[in-house]
Amino acid sequence: MTQQKKSLLVRFFNRIYSSPQLLKLWGSLQARRMSAAGRTGNPIPFTPLQKPLSSCRVALVTTGGLHLPEQPPFNMENPHGDASYRAIPGDVDLKHLVITHKYYDSRDAERDKNILFPLDHLRDLQKRGVIGSLADRHFSFMGHIVEEQTRLLLKRTAPEVAHALRADQVDLVLMTPA
Amino acid sequence: MGLIARIIEAEGITTVVYSLSKELTQAVGVPRAIYVKWPLGHPLGEPGRAVQQRTMLFLGFQLAQTATEPGTFLEPGFRWKRETYQEPPWEQLSGVGSRRLLTSTGL
Repeated sequence: MTQQKKSLLVRFFNRIYSSPQLLKLWGSLQARRMSAAGRTGNPIPFTPLQKPLSSCRVALVTTGGLHLPEQPPFNMENPHGDASYRAIPGDVDLKHLVITHKYYDSRDAERDKNILFPLDHLRDLQKRGVIGSLADRHFSFMGHIVEEQTRLLLKRTAPEVAHALRADQVDLVLMTPA
Repeated sequence: MGLIARIIEAEGITTVVYSLSKELTQAVGVPRAIYVKWPLGHPLGEPGRAVQQRTMLFLGFQLAQTATEPGTFLEPGFRWKRETYQEPPWEQLSGVGSRRLLTSTGL
């Protein structure tokens, strides 16, 4: 939250929602909502890893609301959320990334972005030969989206990101929520 | 998150989802997930705890290599702030270590 300050009320709810018990309740409610919207029960796609990890190109996709300071912040005013995404260049210095996300307490992630977006670790693992290479771009969403923004995500923004990852010949995507 | 994972996986790319809400992740149905009962905003753990964060990455890679069916759900059961972690055995991941000798460098 470097661009817009969170109100006290928002901070209060962020704090409450960091409790695993409440998170469980929230998850159940969201799950019920998903089920009511007919978004559950469909067959799950599955693509086994095609090559040894040491030859794989790895990318990160987060819903933690990360972006570059010069990119437009996510929209925290729309109650349905914001289904847009930001491409994060692979050579970015994590210190330069900012977080715009209304729905969680992001102070720890601001202190150490690797808990959300572990680019420093992946660079190290590439040097050590654990993974083959890192993608030239990674992707960030805000998450916590509902209704019309979910439709936008399913129809447009998520397929766009999937195509971009494919074009970049990515083999494995690690996905981190907020 | 889970919906995005499904769309990427359907495009022919392997995905691993880090989940902080078992109920939601299982309701959506994702190809592979690691669930930890940790607070929101901390999918890989605590700030400044590099070995903990790398342990979560190690488990993610292992899951990517070993899962054979959609909906594979891993629950390592790590307690929040009450675990000690050791540098993961990276050489145990298949295909790793053949190119060069692994040494522990840390961040």
